[in-house]
Amino acid sequence: MMLTIAFRNIFRQKRRTILTALAMIVGFTLSSIVIGLSDGAYSNVIEMFTGNRIGHIQVHRAGYQDKPSIYKTISDYESIGKTIQNENGVEAWTPRIYTGGLGSVDERSTAVQIIGIDVARENKATHFNKKVIEGNTLSETASHEVVIGEKLAKTLAATIGSKIVLFSQAADGSIANDEYTIVGIADSGDDITNRVACYLHIDDVQELFVLEGRVHEIVVIVSNINKVERISNTITEKLDNTSLEILPWYQVVKSFYDAMQKDKQGDAVARFIIVFIVAIGVLNTVLMSVMERTREYGVLKAVGTKPIQVFWLVIYEVVIISIGSIVIGAMLGVFFNYLLSVYGVSYAEGFTLAGVEFGKMYAEVNVACLLIPATTVFVSAVIVSLFPAIKAARIMPARAMRIH
Amino acid sequence: MNQTEKTDVIIAEGVTKIYDADGIPVNALNGVDLTIQAGEFTAIVGPSGSGKTTFLNIISGLDAPTEGKVSLAGKVISEMSGNELSDYRRDNIGFIFQAYNLIPVLTVEENVEYIMLLAGVPKAERHKRVIDILKVVGLEGVEDRLPTQLSGGQQQRVAIARAMVSEPTIILADEPTANLDSKTGTDLLEMMRRLNTDTGMTYVFSTHDPLVMERAKRLITLRDGLVESDETRE
Ligand SMILES: Nc1ncnc2c1ncn2[C@@H]1O[C@H](COP(=O)(O)OP(=O)(O)O)[C@@H](O)[C@H]1O
Ligand SMILES: [Mg+2]
Repeated sequence: MMLTIAFRNIFRQKRRTILTALAMIVGFTLSSIVIGLSDGAYSNVIEMFTGNRIGHIQVHRAGYQDKPSIYKTISDYESIGKTIQNENGVEAWTPRIYTGGLGSVDERSTAVQIIGIDVARENKATHFNKKVIEGNTLSETASHEVVIGEKLAKTLAATIGSKIVLFSQAADGSIANDEYTIVGIADSGDDITNRVACYLHIDDVQELFVLEGRVHEIVVIVSNINKVERISNTITEKLDNTSLEILPWYQVVKSFYDAMQKDKQGDAVARFIIVFIVAIGVLNTVLMSVMERTREYGVLKAVGTKPIQVFWLVIYEVVIISIGSIVIGAMLGVFFNYLLSVYGVSYAEGFTLAGVEFGKMYAEVNVACLLIPATTVFVSAVIVSLFPAIKAARIMPARAMRIH
Repeated sequence: MNQTEKTDVIIAEGVTKIYDADGIPVNALNGVDLTIQAGEFTAIVGPSGSGKTTFLNIISGLDAPTEGKVSLAGKVISEMSGNELSDYRRDNIGFIFQAYNLIPVLTVEENVEYIMLLAGVPKAERHKRVIDILKVVGLEGVEDRLPTQLSGGQQQRVAIARAMVSEPTIILADEPTANLDSKTGTDLLEMMRRLNTDTGMTYVFSTHDPLVMERAKRLITLRDGLVESDETRE
């Protein structure tokens, strides 16, 4: 029955209800946007780092990660790839070969990194074709073509159509030496790679280095990055091969990941401050709306309402308003975060992190951006109403009614 | 009828109330002994500040005495728990306040039925009793209005209806006519007196309005927190 009265109070005291709800809704939406944006920024950084470059999971010959070597290869990579592709949540996989050598265009030479890629798979997995900013991407069949990093092109004064001679030592100890046509110039999104990368068709590299049927790395792209750990574990189980090492992205780029975690701790402090401000706002409005009604509670008690009923009345009202506010706030939060996830907001100044450039911040709609504000609003509203609720329940009616 | 008239509804013994006004003790009541019997129509009079409101609050359990003892329908108020007191008040006391104190968000009908809701009276019966009692206090057809849509006199009638609807042992009214013009006030008092005569319900009200005093059957005068005089007239 107190519930009925609570509803009546809420619907018939519209001004008060709206004021209280507004404080909650605004607090909810703001904190939701802040969380959505900051989570979105992290996800964005991670996605830039993983999706287009290192992938979400990498498979190597055991020990490769610690000490890469041309000899630490994976041989039956087609069947491994097939096993991985069959895993739930795996979107794509692509094999790579990494070696080093000397690259020469006419009179100029410099150290280069030779990256053999399966062009069709690489396009699908990491959108390699989109990294080519000048000229064309590699053909899907091996045809002695090369795409080089934009800074490397400058160093070598190479242009589209130039010939590049790659010189190195093959896996069997013989001399690897061949000439390729530069068909494109790429911006890999990271500075170091741009200075050294020579992308070749995987078959060309296998031939050059006498590595037929072998690769150094399998990059796996998953559809939901949050499931990386689980997928990485099941892949490890399914492959059941101790000579392989299956690592999720955060172990592949551990130092970057650790730095980001540190940064996140700073963010947690900022989040706490926002939550705190929202809580104070809610506390203030709820406290005021309960306090200004001391007289009403006195009357209720005077006509025979039990203390516990008065207590519940106060709590019900606050709970109903907060639930309503949370629902509206959630809709607004999702709406704004969605907009911001599509359109983004520009950073005051763009910045570069680990060689990746960021100019815009995109929000993300996730559980945290709803759950944290919801908990904040609800808990602070209920906690703050406890005190006046107990007070209202215990109030001496005579005293309450004297207050005007 | 004679039987019930002899029943003591309220017995106040040595009731003292000392308020704490920001550290300064204020003696509102200084040892009041009074007995109210069933069926009385009693006025408590006295100048402003003489302790009328305090006394009514204490005998209804709305406030606790500093010293002394109050029995209501045979039970000592100070010995009851908060819940017991609430139920007791709900079942035995109808209170009419100077400031009406209707619940602003409830309609007239909801205000009047509130106590019956608390007591768990079924809906159909509640409605019937509300309509009946509104007729008694002369307020037919306003049951769906909110208190703010009524005049002061009408609001006080609603308050009287609310106090009477559950047929309590006693109705206590603290200056029920103070906020009303004298015509409305005397009309209201006439009505209360008629209800007292018709139903035998006990009425105790405070006032400093001579027109109201005239209509009382018993006149208790307070001064400086003490009973100065106590006269019964018929
Ligand atoms: N809550 C209170 N705190 C302090 N003093 C009070 C309080 N209530 C009443 N008083 C004082 O007690 C005395 C009696 O007040 P009251 O019972 O309201 O008198 P009356 O109703 O006859 O005007 C007055 O002096 C008044 O100022
Ligand atoms: Mg008074």
